[in-house]
Amino acid sequence: MKRFRRGVPALLLALGLAVLAMPEVAAWLMGGTQGPYPAARLLDLALDHAALSLAGVLPAGLLGLVLGVVVTRPGGRGLRPAADAAAAVAQAVPPIVVVALAVPAFGFGWAPTILALMLYGIMPVLRATVGALEAVPPETRLAAEAVGLSPRQVLQEVELALAWPLVLDGLRVALVLAVATTAVGALAGAATLGTPIVIGLQNQNQVLVLQGAAATAALAFLADALLLMAVPARD
Amino acid sequence: MIAQPVIAIEGVTVRFGTTDALRDVTLHVKAGEFCALVGPSGSGKSTLMRLVNRLVVPSAGQVRVRGQDVATLPAPALRRSIGYAMQSVGLFPHRTVAENIGTVPRLLGWDAPRIARRVEELLALLRLDPAMGVRLPRALSGGQAQRVGIARALAADPDILLMDEPFGAVDPITRRELRAETRRIHAETGKTILLVTHDPEEALELASHVVVLRDGRIEADGAPADLVAPDAAPFVRELLGGGQPGLRWLSLLPARGALDPRPAPVGAAMLARNASLADALSVLAESGDEALGMEGEKGSVRAEGILGARR
Ligand SMILES: Nc1ncnc2c1ncn2[C@@H]1O[C@H](COP(=O)(O)OP(=O)(O)OP(=O)(O)O)[C@@H](O)[C@H]1O
Ligand SMILES: [Mg+2]
Repeated sequence: MKRFRRGVPALLLALGLAVLAMPEVAAWLMGGTQGPYPAARLLDLALDHAALSLAGVLPAGLLGLVLGVVVTRPGGRGLRPAADAAAAVAQAVPPIVVVALAVPAFGFGWAPTILALMLYGIMPVLRATVGALEAVPPETRLAAEAVGLSPRQVLQEVELALAWPLVLDGLRVALVLAVATTAVGALAGAATLGTPIVIGLQNQNQVLVLQGAAATAALAFLADALLLMAVPARD
Repeated sequence: MIAQPVIAIEGVTVRFGTTDALRDVTLHVKAGEFCALVGPSGSGKSTLMRLVNRLVVPSAGQVRVRGQDVATLPAPALRRSIGYAMQSVGLFPHRTVAENIGTVPRLLGWDAPRIARRVEELLALLRLDPAMGVRLPRALSGGQAQRVGIARALAADPDILLMDEPFGAVDPITRRELRAETRRIHAETGKTILLVTHDPEEALELASHVVVLRDGRIEADGAPADLVAPDAAPFVRELLGGGQPGLRWLSLLPARGALDPRPAPVGAAMLARNASLADALSVLAESGDEALGMEGEKGSVRAEGILGARR
């Protein structure tokens, strides 16, 4: 029950923002002079948007997790500074730049956005994984070795089992960032909730901009709420 | 055939960076021996113990367990075959007490009912409430956690048991009980036990073989009575003697060894057959007699006999 309650605030926010994105509400708020984006098409865009976000954040999460594990193993400790630096640089480049630079290489469509999401998503997961694995008490790790767990069992049964809630927190941050960032994909021709924003800006239609922005934020909060509810509450 | 030592540490040096935790240490522990490791903090006791289950790897020298060089054995299998109660306890915080205790049996592939029975047995043996099995370690007191750690070490009934200050966090009464329990387990199962303790009395009382460490070297290695005898090294006598090494020495020698052929006077106090010379001295002091009898013996134990132990 506790875990469901944790997601309620984000869920309520998502709901409020979704209402804001509805054609009638947005049009009324903006003075009702310009035509809104139809609700059914907005919903289609939201599904595409969610799919694209997942397509970017899942490989990023996996990569961040694997990198985090590798750089905390005795053999991989030397890679730690390089991995940290690479992840920091990846995060420092604005996604819009990545998308713009990737279009010539990959063409229009999903690919540039997926690339940007991956670069953007690795760091939160890598950071969380490394931090959580380093927080495992040394005597717990020693005990695991001492009773005869193999290195793989130590990792799975003790280290990751203890680190899991924090890793999921990192994954949640990455997912929320990804959902927000996916809107940029509209510039590279991907159908996302950024599409109404781009159209709205081009045609000076503030209603479309508001709808796209509110729907994107609603989806981000929904993702946050879902993951909060999926993760066992820590005390 | 000469009995192979079950643990053989041969000329081992352990270097951590620039400090030597152990220097050229050689120690043999025979099967069924109860060996206590004592010495000041940082003298290398835990390090010596960890050589046995290969948690520490020698920089030089060799460690053999059951006749095999541990460097040639797969570490997980070696460790599952040796019980280890850690100095820092090290229970798995995300596993219940029962799961913690059942770790090694599970790794060895025991079926669930057998593990459950064994866990129940061990909870009883260590005087832990059976209902405690479902608790997480954070809901245990320090002493309870320590006992769970001992239970985990005993779970798969290993023939070698390593115990690093296992009774540190328990109250004196429980400590005495656990000490007696350990002695009983040793007597009944004939396990080879290596025990680190800071309590000289505990070492002398439990062990058949005491090893004194100092700055990474073995300072003394022998039977308890020999280590507090008047001709033992001063450092060792001071460490183990508890301020009265002479009395402690007498407490480790059997009164039967001082039996005098002369009969005890009528009405003299009687000693139990397993009484020590210190017990005899104590009874003499209290009774004011000059000689004591002993159950089942014709002779007597006399003051000059007790004090002549040195001769
Ligand atoms: N993993 C390690 N890395 C570096 N130095 C170590 C390590 N383990 C032990 N030492 C050092 O080796 C020496 C012996 O340590 P050890 O833990 O064996 O002592 P001890 O006799 O068990 O002490 P205590 O009674 O305090 O537990 C100490 O100087 C300690 O600092
Ligand atoms: Mg120690």
